[in-house]
Amino acid sequence: MIQFENVSKLYPLGNAALSDVSFAIEDNEFVFLVGTSGAGKTSILNLILGDLYPTSGSVIVDDRDISNKKLVKFEELRKHMGVIFQDFKVLQDKNVFENIALGLRISNKPLTVIKEKVSEALHLVGLSDKEFYFPLQLSAGELQRVAIARALCGDRHIILADEPTGNLDPKTTWDIMKIFKKVEHERTIIIATHNTDIVNSMKKRVLVLKQGKLIKDMQKGGYEL
Amino acid sequence: MRELLTSIRRTPYQSLAVFSSLLLTLFLSIVLIFCINFLYGLLGYVESRPQVSIYFQNQVSESDILKVKEELLASGKVESVKYVSKNEAYDTYKQLNKDNPLLLEMVSPEILPASLEIFATKPTYLPDIANFLNSVSGKDEVNFQKNIVDKLLSLTSVVRVVSVSFFAFLMITTIIILMTITHFKVALKRDEIELMRLMGASAGYVRKPFLDESMFLGFVSSTVVYLVFIGIVLLGNPALESYLRGIQTLFVDVYGYKLVVWPISIPYGIGLYALLTFFGVGMAAVSTYFATHKYLFVERT
Repeated sequence: MIQFENVSKLYPLGNAALSDVSFAIEDNEFVFLVGTSGAGKTSILNLILGDLYPTSGSVIVDDRDISNKKLVKFEELRKHMGVIFQDFKVLQDKNVFENIALGLRISNKPLTVIKEKVSEALHLVGLSDKEFYFPLQLSAGELQRVAIARALCGDRHIILADEPTGNLDPKTTWDIMKIFKKVEHERTIIIATHNTDIVNSMKKRVLVLKQGKLIKDMQKGGYEL
Repeated sequence: MRELLTSIRRTPYQSLAVFSSLLLTLFLSIVLIFCINFLYGLLGYVESRPQVSIYFQNQVSESDILKVKEELLASGKVESVKYVSKNEAYDTYKQLNKDNPLLLEMVSPEILPASLEIFATKPTYLPDIANFLNSVSGKDEVNFQKNIVDKLLSLTSVVRVVSVSFFAFLMITTIIILMTITHFKVALKRDEIELMRLMGASAGYVRKPFLDESMFLGFVSSTVVYLVFIGIVLLGNPALESYLRGIQTLFVDVYGYKLVVWPISIPYGIGLYALLTFFGVGMAAVSTYFATHKYLFVERT
């Protein structure tokens, strides 16, 4: 479970990224974060990831208050999270297998487990035949699938995606969303997006942010600003 | 090991730069260490020789010489006195020139002088003892080694101070150079490091491949330097042996243990290699630790 309790985030120059935001996301819930640029979507993802600390309020992830940087071992927390970025962040000097195996290697899984899990993830994202391809040999959609496979691989039950379809055409976008749908019952998925079509079509929970404030929290909602 | 070699292959110039810097520093270090040890060995050798020796003319009897010995012992300024008879002097001569039959044929016990070898209780008594011996009737020659010891002692001190300063400068400079080179390597992998941190990699996990690589290069360079050094010593061995003729061994005292530094003994050789490897691997590890620190500990706000 992820819980925000009156969370505010002020940047050093005084501009507010978030103001008094509160919400709770249950395990295996699928949530869209929507809002204009600078509304605070990425700040929420970064707070969950422990890459930012709240100025006030509490962020609770898996029953642990991660607001106090001195009390939290983020390495352990992050081993249960998968991150997906708009620009994929696929490592150019590593092949598909090595990219997907990265998280498992960080978790010190044995090679037999790594091979098995990577194979499952490749099958899930439809890249079984491109295991040893390098990123330069893949299309944008395939690169994002690699990034998703990497985020899903292992015991990562919280998936944070920041504009995962921002660089993709409509067809590829839907292919990507189908992958998320396949795993939505096993993982908590939080997607920050501007894509109105997918938010309106998927009918999932939507948190609407505006100028750092949570203005709407809709179950089976649509894209609203 | 495969990943380590792949990393070296993918950044060959940086790896070569690290290797070369370590090679130069470690070579200078081993030469300095050996020179200091050699000088200390030489100093110990000279100090262990009789501090004052008196050689008597042929007509002086053994009883007269022993009287002089008793007078010296009674003075309270002498720790020990050793009487070396003509025959004993001849035996020593034979031992020193065993490879030169011509020299052995030319000398008999009769022409070698009897002598007394004197060790003072304090170096400050040496001039008094020398004065006394110069007044002894029947003396042929008095050898007084205080000046040699003093000069060698001051030379050793100077070499030690200069070497330690130079060594420290060398170490710091090398660490800075290695840090700069490693910075390049880390910067090339900045995206990967950021991603790994976001995926839960600890600082140690991220740092490990960099550390492994630099420590591997440290180990290889210290081994290469050691082998080159031993090769040079073996090549220069005949020249050094002829220069040190008469000196069988040189040793330094290490906490009561006499470590033979010349000819290079197995324990000394192992110690030298261990020390060199320690410095090589240590410098590489320290520089990598600091080079990666900047990227691993970004303060979150």
